[in-house]
Amino acid sequence: MSDIEEMLSVSEPKIDTERALARLRARVDAERIAPVSRGASAPRRVAVNIWVRGLAAAATIALVATLFTVSGLAETILTIFEPKQLVAVPITSTDLGSAASFGAYGTLTWTEQPKPYDVPDIRTAARESGMTVLTPGNLPPGVSAPRYGVMPKTTATFTFSAAKTTQAAAAQKRTPPPMPANIDGSKLFITGGPAVVAFYTDATATGATSASGATGPSGASPFSGMPRLIVAQGKPPVVQSDGVTVDQLQSYLLAQPGISPQLAAQIRAIKDPSSTLPVPIPVDMATSKKVTVQGVEGIFVGDSTGLGSAVIWQKDGIVYGVAGTLTEQQVLAVANSLH
Amino acid sequence: MEVAERMRLGTVPGQSLPPAFEDLFRREYARVVAIAHRVVADADEAEDVAQDVFVSFYRKHPAEAHYAAPWLYAAAAHTALNALRTRERRGKRDAVEALRRDTQVPDPAQAAETAETASEVRAALGRLPDRSAALLALRYSGLSYEEIAAALGLRQSSIGTLLRRAEDAFRKEVTK
Repeated sequence: MSDIEEMLSVSEPKIDTERALARLRARVDAERIAPVSRGASAPRRVAVNIWVRGLAAAATIALVATLFTVSGLAETILTIFEPKQLVAVPITSTDLGSAASFGAYGTLTWTEQPKPYDVPDIRTAARESGMTVLTPGNLPPGVSAPRYGVMPKTTATFTFSAAKTTQAAAAQKRTPPPMPANIDGSKLFITGGPAVVAFYTDATATGATSASGATGPSGASPFSGMPRLIVAQGKPPVVQSDGVTVDQLQSYLLAQPGISPQLAAQIRAIKDPSSTLPVPIPVDMATSKKVTVQGVEGIFVGDSTGLGSAVIWQKDGIVYGVAGTLTEQQVLAVANSLH
Repeated sequence: MEVAERMRLGTVPGQSLPPAFEDLFRREYARVVAIAHRVVADADEAEDVAQDVFVSFYRKHPAEAHYAAPWLYAAAAHTALNALRTRERRGKRDAVEALRRDTQVPDPAQAAETAETASEVRAALGRLPDRSAALLALRYSGLSYEEIAAALGLRQSSIGTLLRRAEDAFRKEVTK
């Protein structure tokens, strides 16, 4: 027995799998835990979903951020958010856990659902997205040939609802500030994408690699479930409004019980919210800093375990992202070699 | 959740989970507990960790996923390390007490000493970077290099080197 084996030795546990399974059944039942929906989650799809979820999170915070400073909207449809630059907004897991989802404030109706799908090659990706798809000239050693996914243009309408807000708050035993009458029933029109994502797996690893890097449910790396390298590009989200009074929205949304004073201050500090896309950075899992990519300012994100890195930037009306289980140097090299 | 929806999802309240998930549970539970146990050195806590790991998988992934086993192993190691660190933060007394429950030494004085040593060793494990600690937990739970590589998203060819580094770092932490 080696010294480490001896140090880490434990008594032989008495395991009763059937009893443990009964305990799990009871817990799933008591906590009403729903399983993942069927057909979801092939590894590549997981990665697409992670990316889409990130975009959705950014768009959600962007909405909260940008609605505030635009004022004097009449009964006309105005473009109130069209990002031209990016800014990192640190968020904590408390912010993520306690903030009500946007769904608590009204109803989101998809007119065109975000349905990512696989395409056989880059030409198809370019044709279906209507974008010139950039490829890296510099790849880290050992990555496979890329596989491409396309997310078509997505549009949705969000209708604020005072009744729904009260209901959601009551379910969580919270008391939110009352929704101003003119916000109740007002609409936002959200457009996102199209986007193209290229996945590179580790050519030398087993088939399970793209799903691994997987970590536990808490303290996990934000890069869990990620292939070795992802290169993504997409049209940033645009938000239009049919006439909300934004001063009221600002005080209303930032006064919600789930929004911490720190997050509210970060959002208020954004100088030009109508053209800034906030990139949420989970501060307890990742760090971020400004970097220069492709001649423009971008945001580098590294996870706290040092296992993954990402860089995101916007150029010529397109948001680009490169991420993977790579070092900062490798990620920036890939990003700067896109052509 | 409405009963009709549950039925559609293949579950009956309080009775069963989807058969594929139950198969996965029966197949992997002992191994997930073993990995967690190696980290926390407390059988009860290891079973709690395993429950959390399976619930987390159940929420997010289909039971038939080909990556199910490596995902569960990695999650077991990381979740157990989180639990270990939380325990360490609560204080040494708590940690030693938890480990004392797990020792199978009849003599109380000897049991206390064994628990004290185990506690110091686990504290050192908790101070290692996540990847190094997970590597040790998986390897000393009996996983092959191939299984570790799949679980942690690493190349199989680099496992030997990374493991040696993790072992060296661990020895240094223990003797600190």
